[in-house]
Order: sequence, then structure tokens, then C-alpha cells
Amino acid sequence: MSRVAIVGLGHSKFGRRTDVDVAELAFESIKQAIDDAGVDKKDIKNVVVGSAGGWYEESLPAVIVNEYAGLTSVGTMRVEAACASGSAAVKTAYNSIVSGEGDIAMAVGVEKMTEVDTLTSVELIGRAGSYMWEFENYGMTFPAYYALYAVAHMDKFGTTEEDMGRVAVKAHHYGAMNPLAQFQKEVTLEKVLSSQVVSWPLKLYDACPLTDGSATVVLASEEVAKKLTDTPIWIRGVGYSSDSANLSKRDDYVGLAASVEAARRAYEAAKVTPRDIDVATCHDCFTIAELMAYEDLGFCKKGEAAAMIREGQTEVGGRIPVNLDGGLKAKGHPIGATGVSMMVEISKQLRGEAGNHQAPIRNGVGLVHNVGGTGHYAYVSILSRN
Amino acid sequence: MSLRFDIPIARTHQFWDALRVGKFVTTKCKACGNVSFPPQGDCPNCMSSDHEWVDLGTDATLVTYTFVQITPASFVKNDPYMIAIGKLSSGLKVLAWLEGGKVENVKIGERMHLEARASEEGNPYYVFVRS
Repeated sequence: MSRVAIVGLGHSKFGRRTDVDVAELAFESIKQAIDDAGVDKKDIKNVVVGSAGGWYEESLPAVIVNEYAGLTSVGTMRVEAACASGSAAVKTAYNSIVSGEGDIAMAVGVEKMTEVDTLTSVELIGRAGSYMWEFENYGMTFPAYYALYAVAHMDKFGTTEEDMGRVAVKAHHYGAMNPLAQFQKEVTLEKVLSSQVVSWPLKLYDACPLTDGSATVVLASEEVAKKLTDTPIWIRGVGYSSDSANLSKRDDYVGLAASVEAARRAYEAAKVTPRDIDVATCHDCFTIAELMAYEDLGFCKKGEAAAMIREGQTEVGGRIPVNLDGGLKAKGHPIGATGVSMMVEISKQLRGEAGNHQAPIRNGVGLVHNVGGTGHYAYVSILSRN
Repeated sequence: MSLRFDIPIARTHQFWDALRVGKFVTTKCKACGNVSFPPQGDCPNCMSSDHEWVDLGTDATLVTYTFVQITPASFVKNDPYMIAIGKLSSGLKVLAWLEGGKVENVKIGERMHLEARASEEGNPYYVFVRS
């Protein structure tokens, strides 16, 4: 099978972006990515747009985004895999190159979440499960879904609210180094633990914010990638899986089965193991989600995630540095943009361009873990320098 | 624009009809014997549409729970609520509000049971009550 590389990176400022509409926001990262790749936009055959939508005014974001950037007549679609829509967009663009549709494709992730009021956003995300049996009568929220997992994980493994809080402290530590992050301020464990309870045991500082943002990657076939750049970042393997919409049909609430299966498929496709990973982004929409990811991805054994965060194993200098861009927690989580933003971060890390938050790169292998919903979808992508 | 969805329940109305009189039923596939909750007219196991309605049972043990304090737009008038997932003796699990006591006293593994309720508009729903 032909190889595909990431050859261009673009990333907007994340945050409450009342200064731009959805097309203008997407343009920021599209322009950067095309410039970074050094391609002529006429040579881009396919553009895949990852966006969950519903909280901004446009119903057909793919064509709106393309038109604004002068990309009409490309092959295009909007793809949805909830909070993993960005990874789904990259995978779909990757497929277009592998299948021979063209040598250059682009994946754009974009979301505009703050054009509606906060409680409407809370509701739209809360409906991301099985509407009739979870929302209609019971008003499930996204924090509530992950809180059900947090309570079970605490009960089974002795994970504490402090352990979850440490994930937030780490995220804000690195977010403070990222000029594109929504929150660029350190927080203390005390501040996290004393923040408002959203859905017990999860508090405001256990939760990612509502965010506007976009990120874009340009992909190329092996032949074209080698002409364009000396530092292509190869997509070595992508694994993806899913689980029931209705949480009551899951076997347990201490890990995400979709993540476990996606990781297994990705490691197999890329022919690597968790030991080979130099740096990773894990889907930390809530602090408990990052802890479960350590276990689901095989970074540690089941039940040992709390020890990993306590020992600093996922900081720079630790065994596998995780979310050195601030993660969803501090960088922000514009649903459809997040997966692409993760690809940008890991590509920068592998290029050695991550500046003040650069991880040591030994094997040249990085991992992107992107979950949609509460493990309704999961995507794991392995990127590498070779 | 305000969005309202008319969700068809023609194939599962038996569940809601039974709930109105305080009973809990669900679907059992006549071809393979698979019991589903939520009820569904088409079997997810063997894909047969030939099914019957059987007793769901109400006794459950608490698997996990949370206490929702920031409620979504449609629930802003509600007081904060506890949500639990309970496992019935059949092994099927159900998600519902949990009534009875404070969140500090709730324990995983404790006994609870399903009870029918009616909303202000008269629509049936169900809750877990700590036993």
C-alpha cells in the first residue's frame, strides 16, 4: 500500500472567537497549512471537513469553508464522528490518496461553539448519546457521562479526585506555554479541587471548555511528499472503532472499549507497541478521560493510571509525555477541530519544532488518541518520522 | 426557530403503555430468545422482527452514578438530580434518575428498584429508588 505523509500544518488561535465566522476561522488554518506545505491550492484534489455542527449557523460547512478559501470544484464532504470528527477527516483524506484519487488532499477541522448560549451548547453535547433513553427524561450532560465512568474508576481502582485534578494541573502547565491555547495560565491543585461541581465528582476544572477553533493538515502521497519536504510525517497506521450509543449497554465503566480496540488496530497497522511511542496526545475532554486513556492505550496496566500521573510519567522527562500542547483541557476543544489539532501537535513534536514544550524524540514515533462522545467513536493514529 | 421532534414510538408503545400502569416490560426475540433493553422491535442479535413482550423486572444493583449540578437548557427548571446505571437481575442495565437520599450516602453495589412516574405533562417515565 502506498504511504501517505502529513506535509503541511495549520492551526488557528483557540478560544472564544467572536471576531470571525466559521469560514474565516477555517481560513486561518487552511492558509497556514497550504503555505507550510508549499503546494499550489489548484493541486489539492480532495478537501474533507471535520465538524460536528449544530451550534453555528451553517448547515453545509464543507462548501462554505471551501468557497471562502477559493477551493470550489474539489471533491469534498463534511464528516462527523462527534469529538473525533477531526481524526475521521484525516483518515478520509488519507483514504483518498491511498485509493489513487489524487496525490494531495487536505483535512480541515473546524467548530464554532460559542454562537449559542452556554446551556444550549451543554444540551447539544448532552444529546450525544441515545436521545430517547438518556436525554428526553433524564437530561444527561456530557460531564455526567464521564462522571459515571469516574465514579466507577474511583470505586474499582482507588483513583481519587486529586489524581484527576493532577491531570488538569499538568494540562494548564503546558497550556501556559502554548500561545494558541484558550487558557494560558497555570492552576494549582487546590484551585481545581475547590472549583464548582458540574456533575459530581467532576468539577469545572476537570472539564474542557467550549471552544471556537480550526486546524488543517495537508496530506501527500509518498512520491509528492518527498519532493515537497525533508520532514514528511508519515501516517503509519490508523485504527478506529465504536461502541453502543446507550451507555447502559456497555460492559463496564472503567475504560472505553472503543479506545482499546482502536489502539489494537493502530498498533497492528503501524507495527509498533506502546513502548515505541515518544510522545502522545490523549483525548482529555475530562480529566478522568486522560487517565482511562493511559490504560486503554496500554501506556500502563489497567488501574495504574493514577500512579502514572502522580509520578509525572506523562510529563516531559517521563516515560510518555502526553498533551504537551495543553490538551483539550487548556488548549480548548473545538469538537471537529480537535483531532486535526492533535495531528498538528504530534507532527510538530516529530519534526522537532515544538519549541518550549518539545519532547525528547528517540524512536520518531507519536500517537494521536481522539475519542468521539463517551467512547462512542475512537480513533488512534500513529505518526512517524520514518 | 425552535426545534421539537415528534419521535415515533409505534413499535415500542407497549413499553410506555405498561409504564403508565406501573409495569415494566421489554422485548424478547421469538427466534433467538434475546431480550433487549431499551425495547426494540428488531432483534440486534439475529435480526428477526418476530418478538414478544416480557416482564423486565424492577430489582437492581447500583453499578455507577453521578449528581448533575449544571443542567442542560431543557432542564434548567429542575433541581440538581442524581443519575444511576442499575443492573437488573436479568443482567440488563438501565439508566435513570436515582431518588432517595443524598449523593454522599450512595454506594456502588447497593440495592434499588425501578418505579414508574408521570411528568407534569402526564408522560410516563421511570426512576430508580434506593431500597
